Amino acid sequence: MDTLAAKRTLKKTYQDVRALSYAEKKDEFMNEEKVNAFLDTILDFKTKIKNETKVIYDLNEKIESLTWYSNWDEECIQMLNDLIALCKDLRSSLNRQYYNMSAIRKKGIAKVEIREFKNAINELRETYEDIESVFFFLPQIPEFKETTRKLSLI
Amino acid sequence: MEIYCLPEFLIEFKKLKSKKPYRSLEKDIITYFFDPKKTESLHFQSGTNLNNSITTPYIKKRLNGSGGYRFYFLLLIKDEKIYLLFVHPKSGPDGAENITDESKAELYKKVLLAIESENYLKVSCDKERNQLTFSPLLEINKIETPDEQPPRNNR
Repeated sequence: MDTLAAKRTLKKTYQDVRALSYAEKKDEFMNEEKVNAFLDTILDFKTKIKNETKVIYDLNEKIESLTWYSNWDEECIQMLNDLIALCKDLRSSLNRQYYNMSAIRKKGIAKVEIREFKNAINELRETYEDIESVFFFLPQIPEFKETTRKLSLI
Repeated sequence: MEIYCLPEFLIEFKKLKSKKPYRSLEKDIITYFFDPKKTESLHFQSGTNLNNSITTPYIKKRLNGSGGYRFYFLLLIKDEKIYLLFVHPKSGPDGAENITDESKAELYKKVLLAIESENYLKVSCDKERNQLTFSPLLEINKIETPDEQPPRNNR
């Protein structure tokens, strides 16, 4: 009885290994093509996120460059105020995208690229906050105004 | 361009430089502020112009992405001088968020007082050793204009 059962199990196992071996030879689970396709998807994702990051950094620079213009009239200041509101909205959308990447990030995929993307978003926030300071808050600080006046005399 | 710094900047620089995550700070300062190609003040007119001034811009400049630093400096265009006021890293143990408007105003006032009292340091770069040297301005002035020798007694 034991011998018969053993023979049956052996035969079944033999058939399973044979079938799997044949299937693997015919269609490898991790063949080169599939691995390459997987790596290409990661590379594609990395390129997309790098491009997106560069767009944000460029935008930050453009916003910063506004502080080098002077003699703003009321209309420009109002437009600037609208621009700051738009930037806040943009940051919320970008932050949502960043949080959607958390699963990828946790698996360690494109870690450096995602970190730089997050930095670009943080810098966007810093940039519009600084713009707000330059045009709306710092000029309201009497000491700051006085320092500017004194420095202009040096 | 002549580069100077506030004593507070030197304190912050030394503190950061002694910490492992900020070993690149000295090199980063040399690369940006002592680049031989940057011979005119125009090359430093980027970043945020905090006082919106054309002649004496008070600049905040971010360098080197996520692991980088924020530099605050004053540019005297007419005199071709830069005064480094403050540096703070974005990440690591001393990493911090943006400083407040009050702190920006305070730093700004400090540099004015430092210029008025000549209480600042000259920053030079030893290119061969890739090192920065800081010399107090009052000492430099002493060397450049030595005190008159007291009259000798010739008896």
